[in-house]
Amino acid sequence: MRLELRGITKRFGTFTANHRIDLTVEPGQIHCLLGENGAGKSTLMNVIFGLLQPDEGEVLIDGVTTRFSNSGEAVRRGIGMVHQHFMLVPVFSVAENVVLGFEPTKSFDRLDHQRAREEIRSVSQAFNLEVDPDAIVEELPVGLQQRVEILKALSHDAELLILDEPTAVLTPQEIDALMAIMRSLAASGKSILFITHKLKEVKAIADVITVIRQGEVVGTAQASDSEAELASMMVGRDVNLTVTKASVTPGDEVLAITDLVVRDDRGLAAVNGVSLTVRAGEIVALAGVQGNGQTELVEAIAGMRHVESGTITVKGVDITNHTPRQVLDAGVGHVPEDRQLHGLVLSMSVADNLVLNTPRRAPFARHGSRNLAAVNENAEALVTRFDIRTTSTQALVSSLSGGNQQKVIVARELSRPLSLFVASQPTRGLDVGSIEYVHRQIVSQRDDGLGVLIVSSELDEVLALGDRIAVMHAGQISGVVDPSTSRETIGLLMTGAHVESADA
Amino acid sequence: MSIDVKPETPVTAARIPVGRTRGIGVIMLVIGLFTALVFGVGSGFSAHSSLTFNPVSLTNAPWRVGTLTLLTAWSNVVLGLAIVALGVDVLARLPRRGVMARFGVVAVLFFFALLLWAARTTGPSQINFVNLTAVLIGSSALAMVLVFGSLSGVMCERAGVVNIAIEGQFIGGAFVGSMVASTAHNFFLAAIVGALVGGALGLVLAFLSLRYLSDQIIVGVVLVTMLGSLSSYLNLQVFTPFPQYNTGNLAPNLPIPLLSKIPVIGPVFFDQTGFFYLMIVLVALVSFGLFKTRWGLRVRAVGEHPQAAASVGIKVIGVRYANVIMGGAIAGVGGVAFMASQGQFQPGYTSGLGYIALAALIFGRWRPSGAVVASVLFGLSVYLADNLQTYQVPVPTEILGMFPYVITIAVVSGLIGRVRPPAADGLPYKRD
Repeated sequence: MRLELRGITKRFGTFTANHRIDLTVEPGQIHCLLGENGAGKSTLMNVIFGLLQPDEGEVLIDGVTTRFSNSGEAVRRGIGMVHQHFMLVPVFSVAENVVLGFEPTKSFDRLDHQRAREEIRSVSQAFNLEVDPDAIVEELPVGLQQRVEILKALSHDAELLILDEPTAVLTPQEIDALMAIMRSLAASGKSILFITHKLKEVKAIADVITVIRQGEVVGTAQASDSEAELASMMVGRDVNLTVTKASVTPGDEVLAITDLVVRDDRGLAAVNGVSLTVRAGEIVALAGVQGNGQTELVEAIAGMRHVESGTITVKGVDITNHTPRQVLDAGVGHVPEDRQLHGLVLSMSVADNLVLNTPRRAPFARHGSRNLAAVNENAEALVTRFDIRTTSTQALVSSLSGGNQQKVIVARELSRPLSLFVASQPTRGLDVGSIEYVHRQIVSQRDDGLGVLIVSSELDEVLALGDRIAVMHAGQISGVVDPSTSRETIGLLMTGAHVESADA
Repeated sequence: MSIDVKPETPVTAARIPVGRTRGIGVIMLVIGLFTALVFGVGSGFSAHSSLTFNPVSLTNAPWRVGTLTLLTAWSNVVLGLAIVALGVDVLARLPRRGVMARFGVVAVLFFFALLLWAARTTGPSQINFVNLTAVLIGSSALAMVLVFGSLSGVMCERAGVVNIAIEGQFIGGAFVGSMVASTAHNFFLAAIVGALVGGALGLVLAFLSLRYLSDQIIVGVVLVTMLGSLSSYLNLQVFTPFPQYNTGNLAPNLPIPLLSKIPVIGPVFFDQTGFFYLMIVLVALVSFGLFKTRWGLRVRAVGEHPQAAASVGIKVIGVRYANVIMGGAIAGVGGVAFMASQGQFQPGYTSGLGYIALAALIFGRWRPSGAVVASVLFGLSVYLADNLQTYQVPVPTEILGMFPYVITIAVVSGLIGRVRPPAADGLPYKRD
């Protein structure tokens, strides 16, 4: 299918999300749409997929102007979309999910499970996408769930496949598998529109790259262009992709974890005998595929999860099974993994969120009543110092972009004297500019002698920031290595292999 | 080339924490020992309890059977030990599934032991027999109403809308049902009008919660309160001055030839009103529809993940409207059925049955079949709570009346088994 967009403009009130966007996807082509969060990629996809109507411009399919009033029409016309958040019913089987909306039936409206299964098998075979049609979707790993999404699109005879940030939830191995699938689909003549902000992936797979910024196409690029060129095109200025750090001699131990055992929500030992230290003036980066106990480890440190056995000490003080407030008082700053759930109160103002960890303390409160002047003064100062883009300190924190929300948390945590700074996935979902900013802050704190523990599933981030890299697998530390260690070795450690002489 | 993605984390099916299963096993043991000791040994070894099986009303009497006299103590010791055995089985094997079903069996055995104990010869009351058939017929009338209510809940909640207003739909159905039945002398017509009223109330709930995204629970509670007051007012204004509009509405039994002659089973299952048979047909229909048909797949998709349903062109809001209206209609018929089992309308006489139906819906895990099992259990306990006074049991009957709610709290809190409502149940859906 040949998809052509001509001068697509979409406004929300006075805000122009897309401005005169031209784009052509040729059959058999992998076309990358590169842009930061908030650049208007999702709006454009929703226009193509019939979820939004453009204010100006037209969508042409194989040269014919087309207008979809809902996504069902787009699907029938051969456009398939793999959403970032899967559009799958978790409790349904693979077959039920794939046929939903297009169900084969027998008499009395009965579902024809046999035909559904056969349909899936034939599509599976045609595109080499093995999935058990009777498996329940929620019991499949994320990579396979995504495969079900792709299968669903293909079974509706999609000729154009839109993949919206498809790698955000995948492990490195699953990303490789997805890339292979995309290549083979393109080879069989399908058109692919791949939306992402990750430069490495774009370079790995794109035939054509269109870069959009603030709702406008700023140009096209080649996969052979350097990451720095792509990044500066996407952000609109030169971006420093490498983190520069001076070498620092680490001081005393600030965090010591010994033989820690922590259970997850299902009662299984998610952290199973972890020992780890962080010294003053060093960044320890905890690497590993998500779901190997990193989340539970950090929650245990922060006092958010019960410790089964083992100890956690901060500067020699035992904080095992202390409450979050006691942990904060011990001088631990924490940037939680889920910033909207655990890091912010979305329905409160920026100013209030900036004092969430110290609301009852002078100068923000006196004799049990709040001192709003001090709260606002603090907010003004931090907004300036941390370059938080907000209309006012009284604006709801939910109105901020993801990057600025994260800056609010970082600003709050770093605005008081700390011994240890723990940040979980500190740059997940942030745009390049914000990533750069957060990284600089972390490094400067470390230079000032703070002990830092970073948890990240992005290997690039781990390598860029870590003075030492601890790799976690299946609840245990499979190795602690130097940042000069090769990606391959760290990748092996992430799969649980114990590499000889890997200890730094 | 086939690409193989290996699961990074082991796939573990959602499971009931072992500790909870153990807890329920212990509760079963306690109930079993209590039954054996208090109802068994405690009633003395000379006491007798008699069971009779012939229904009180002999209009369509089944083949008569004699009276069964049991030694109270030993019967209850046996029942108690059976409960203990079930508890031990749960503790020993910690089964993943069927814990709730086992608990249901325990509850039935416990009720039976309670009846034998209450009716023992040297007991507190003069009555020294239990008419098992009468107990079952009495509870079946309540269970039927509960089934109508919980089926209504299944229809709504499977599509993602919580229908707290079942009680209100009962009241509305019962009121107009009585009026129509009294004037037209036609229960079929009464059922249709009841369905219309219930469906209209469903439409109000759907309109407020789907169009204006109001909180479904609040809208539901408001509807119940409104219907309660409105029916009291109308009762005073219409039925009190004109009692002829609210009288003589006991639905006639429609015995099925031959089958209705079987002792116990006949009178309970095959000598019932048309509403009872309609209920059975509805259970089968809803069950088949939800789990075997394209319609059901779409309804469940809407209740689990409305965005996913919308992305393949299913009209989420339309499905929800249709289901909430149909669910309301079913509850409306349930109200007529209740009225027809009582003979007339009285303000407030549904006394929370709509809420017990919701409890049955949860206990039955949002499945029609489960709702039936739960309704039978709850119907039995409500009936016993209402009727045990005749045996002068030295236990406040209100304690028994708590049973459905205690069970529901235990189920919802995850004490017994694990329940999982439809993922989008009660959440507003907005097209973006």
